[in-house]
Amino acid sequence: MSVEHVLTTCPYCGTGCNFFLQVVDGRLTSVVPCKTDEISLGRLCIKGYNAHAFVQHPDRLKNPMVREKGQLVKASWDQALDRIVKALKEIRDKHGPDSIVLLASAKCTNEENYVFQKLARAVLGTNNVDHCARLCHASTVTGLLYSFGSGAMTNTIPEFDGADCILVTGSNTLEAHPIIGSRMLRAKEKGAKIIVVDPRDTPLSRISHIHLSQRSGTDVAWINGMLKVIIDEGLADEEFVKARTTAFEDLKKVVESYTPEKVESITGIPKEKLVEAARLYARSKKAMIAYAMGITQHSNGTDLVKSIANLAMATGHIGKESTGVNPLRGQCNVQGACDSGGLPNLYPGYQRVDDEAVRAKFEKAWGVRLSPTPGLTLTRAMNDAMAGKVKAMVVFGENVMVSDPDLNHVEEALKKLEFLAVTDIFLTETAKMADVVLPAACYAEKDGTFTNTDRALRMLRKAVEPPGEARADWIIACDLGRRLGSKGFEFSSPADIMAEMATVTPIFAGITHERVDGKVLRWPVPDKDHSGTRILHVQKFTRGQGQFAPIEHTPPAEVVSEEYPFILTTGRNLFQYHTGTMTRRSPKLEREAPEPYVEIRGEDAKKLGIADGDRVSVSSRRGSITLKARVTDKIIEGTIFIPFHYAEAAANRLTNAALDPASDIPEFKVCAARIERA
Amino acid sequence: MAEFSPTILAFCCNWCSYAGADLAGVSRLQMPPNIHIIRVMCSASVKPEYVLKAISGGVDGVLVLGCHIGDCHYMTGNHRTAKRMPLVQKVLKEVGIDEKRLRLDWVSASEGEKFQKVVTDFVDEVKQLGPNPMRGVKW
Amino acid sequence: MVNDLGRKLAKLAFEERGADMLLVMREEHGNVVPAMVPKGEDLGDVRLDIPYQLITILENIYPWVSKGRIAIITRRCDEKALAELVKRKYVDDKRIVRIGLACSEDQIRRCRCEDPVPSKVDLGEPHAAAKGDELISRLEKMSQQERLEFWAGQFKKCNKCFGCTLNCPVCFCDDDCVLEDRTFVAEPSVPPGLSFHMIRSYHMIDKCIECGECERSCPAEIPLLTMRKLLAKDMKELFKFRPGDEKTVSPLNTTLEGEQLEDGCDEC
Repeated sequence: MSVEHVLTTCPYCGTGCNFFLQVVDGRLTSVVPCKTDEISLGRLCIKGYNAHAFVQHPDRLKNPMVREKGQLVKASWDQALDRIVKALKEIRDKHGPDSIVLLASAKCTNEENYVFQKLARAVLGTNNVDHCARLCHASTVTGLLYSFGSGAMTNTIPEFDGADCILVTGSNTLEAHPIIGSRMLRAKEKGAKIIVVDPRDTPLSRISHIHLSQRSGTDVAWINGMLKVIIDEGLADEEFVKARTTAFEDLKKVVESYTPEKVESITGIPKEKLVEAARLYARSKKAMIAYAMGITQHSNGTDLVKSIANLAMATGHIGKESTGVNPLRGQCNVQGACDSGGLPNLYPGYQRVDDEAVRAKFEKAWGVRLSPTPGLTLTRAMNDAMAGKVKAMVVFGENVMVSDPDLNHVEEALKKLEFLAVTDIFLTETAKMADVVLPAACYAEKDGTFTNTDRALRMLRKAVEPPGEARADWIIACDLGRRLGSKGFEFSSPADIMAEMATVTPIFAGITHERVDGKVLRWPVPDKDHSGTRILHVQKFTRGQGQFAPIEHTPPAEVVSEEYPFILTTGRNLFQYHTGTMTRRSPKLEREAPEPYVEIRGEDAKKLGIADGDRVSVSSRRGSITLKARVTDKIIEGTIFIPFHYAEAAANRLTNAALDPASDIPEFKVCAARIERA
Repeated sequence: MAEFSPTILAFCCNWCSYAGADLAGVSRLQMPPNIHIIRVMCSASVKPEYVLKAISGGVDGVLVLGCHIGDCHYMTGNHRTAKRMPLVQKVLKEVGIDEKRLRLDWVSASEGEKFQKVVTDFVDEVKQLGPNPMRGVKW
Repeated sequence: MVNDLGRKLAKLAFEERGADMLLVMREEHGNVVPAMVPKGEDLGDVRLDIPYQLITILENIYPWVSKGRIAIITRRCDEKALAELVKRKYVDDKRIVRIGLACSEDQIRRCRCEDPVPSKVDLGEPHAAAKGDELISRLEKMSQQERLEFWAGQFKKCNKCFGCTLNCPVCFCDDDCVLEDRTFVAEPSVPPGLSFHMIRSYHMIDKCIECGECERSCPAEIPLLTMRKLLAKDMKELFKFRPGDEKTVSPLNTTLEGEQLEDGCDEC
């Protein structure tokens, strides 16, 4: 008989709570909070408490499978891997390396993502490696790189406790990042003022001091409006602006015309409330901004992120304790997948692939010639697959058939591929379309590290054995690398991979598994004696001077019309997570939110003769789904909301794949839609 | 302003209180129209959860009526009720809802007049208390 | 490497009291970790300063641990929780070895604990009870309306993590918790509404041993322990009953004359 409490990291959102998996004789029995964890403080959300539930689910993939005569049939590891190797070699020889795309995963560890991108770059010879960060914070990476020089949270989760004012926009923090939300509650209890800017009524907005409900897609306008108030009333931090930033004058010129009246007419935010919020944010001593998908998932996402950065720099709320610009990352390791180079234009540690010196360094380290051209982004790759330019995709732990915009288009694109290999823990909607399916180990069955949203390295420790023949992704990727003839994949453990990654990644240089095991380390960690970096941009910005970006309001890519009179916005609910692969197999979570629904305001519903609980059909220019109506006063008139978790009524059949030109992030948050009784 | 007209739930046990209510009706006794009777097999099948859910949902008053102690069709069902309801009242009191919004009483099959009196008294009392404050709490 | 506390504990649990395993906390990976250590194995760096709810852990693993005597660190509240477990036959008293831990002054203050000293003190120094709960005196001065506003404001922060029930050592209805029942807690349900909290309060009224784990686990920091203490006071006034004694029966399970009711079910 053995009872163990294995300290590990939650596989859901990017908060990175540590907890114990309770294991009795190889059986996962429950999740126990870790009271000494600096991030979670021994508190968890409902998803965390149920993080053991899906691990030993009977649906887990236990064997490799290959497609024979149209059917997926059981195969040996050798058969399955050889099939992948053969297909990739053929396609590479016939169509060139750039006809292959590899999707890394925000659900896999840093070590695994490092191996994935090495596999794509050093073995397949293409920079076509991307992952779902493209769909969530790609615009944060581009936007904040432009403004500050570093695309991550500038401050840390514990600092929310000490803020005087927290401005939250485009983040349903209490539902999507509950434990960060609880920090905000603590701050409020201590007297901090909470400002929420969101078209929806969220659990956080209901207890906020000021709630501004803007029309979806009008965020530049309210931010410019606040900036104008701040500048006109002399609330800008002149000293900071002068010493630390450039291009403030350009910003001034642009925001000049954004009077509270004009902003009210664009956004619907009453001018008095806008002025009040602007004053409150600017006058507070320690003010933090937190944002998430409501800012990033727009066709002008990068501009929106830069606007947020403008606001923080103009008021000097950056580079100090309890201030800063804080993008809340949504996946357990989406920060880490970006850090480890799972991006088509960046090597590990945000080093550019088109920088010759950097490339030379990696060529030397890996002993191969590397492609100088940035690869395809996930969203562009789908278009290129559609056009027949991309022939093969190797997917590790992503479910693009639910998560990506305009699914009908994605489905067609995947069908056009000559070869699709998917590695996952369940037979997802994407895996069902694959030629080869490989069974992976999940978070509870392997070692490694995640990087959470505040740049802290969090250890993952193996608690139980993977089911059947399932293997950890890093083992699978290394095996593929070797079978493709490369010598650079002789790793004996994730710690071993981290050791190599540290040598080529300056921000990870001082990171080893040994150091991360007993201590919270936040990158950059430039050497082995460095104790990590809590606050970024303290003395100077990573790029030197902070860069203001003058930005004008532009309407979203798709605006309402007579035929499609509603704005459709999408998001999460508390109980489900992303494509539902894990949460929908966790009985207690599925019980709470078992079916898809669309939220519509009472007045709108009445006009259309829709009652609470009615079956309705929602359509956009791209598709149509049928689901239940939830009539509520928690959303503004003219806007409807659908959570995107449910494959049976996938919101992404409707969403618009219009891309932000700088980051290729799709506009998940706005499209025009029609709703009627089904 | 129109007089406040409360919404009141009355749980009546099948064997005594419901028969008592029936008798009151057949006897054409005048009663305020505010009560909604829910017939249950025994006052012990009125789960405290029902009461708490009703009151947190905005019902102005809940009346639980059972057989007199000693007369329970199930011998000791009403003993349970007699223990539970005072505790439910305490829960209400502690969160700041007047415990008088819940009343427990015993009405036998032959007590049509008592039924009338209990109902009339309770409706008057709830009228004095005013609307359930939970109605005003924006959640 | 075992520390002094570990050596002392090993002697107490295994040599003197004949336990086969010990449920304890120790330092690992820079954190304090609950651990079940079999006799003969190194106890490691034992830490008793972090209040993990070991009784809840015991309750979770007990069905899987079919043999042997389990030693467990018991504060006064843990003793009471064990009594409630034994009373309901969830654990066999003969298989439990208690090692009494007197709580620190600081812990007593945080728990506003009025009954902090275990029946047998093996570890720690006994300290005096706390002087009461400051929030209770504030609430007592409030009007009914103010009290409702206070609690509604608190419960509005609830994010339905179920931490208060999952970590509670005396929350027993595992798979048919009424709080998971749509009849009582309607969807859409964040925050879950006042009924959620009132129903839970009622359910704990004859079981709660005031360990404060619900409050410590609450991400919204709702003063749940204060609510428990208020209702414990009411329970005592009405029925002269306090949970945590193996020999007493909950008044909810007796007739008005005090005879135990036959039906074993607590809830129907």
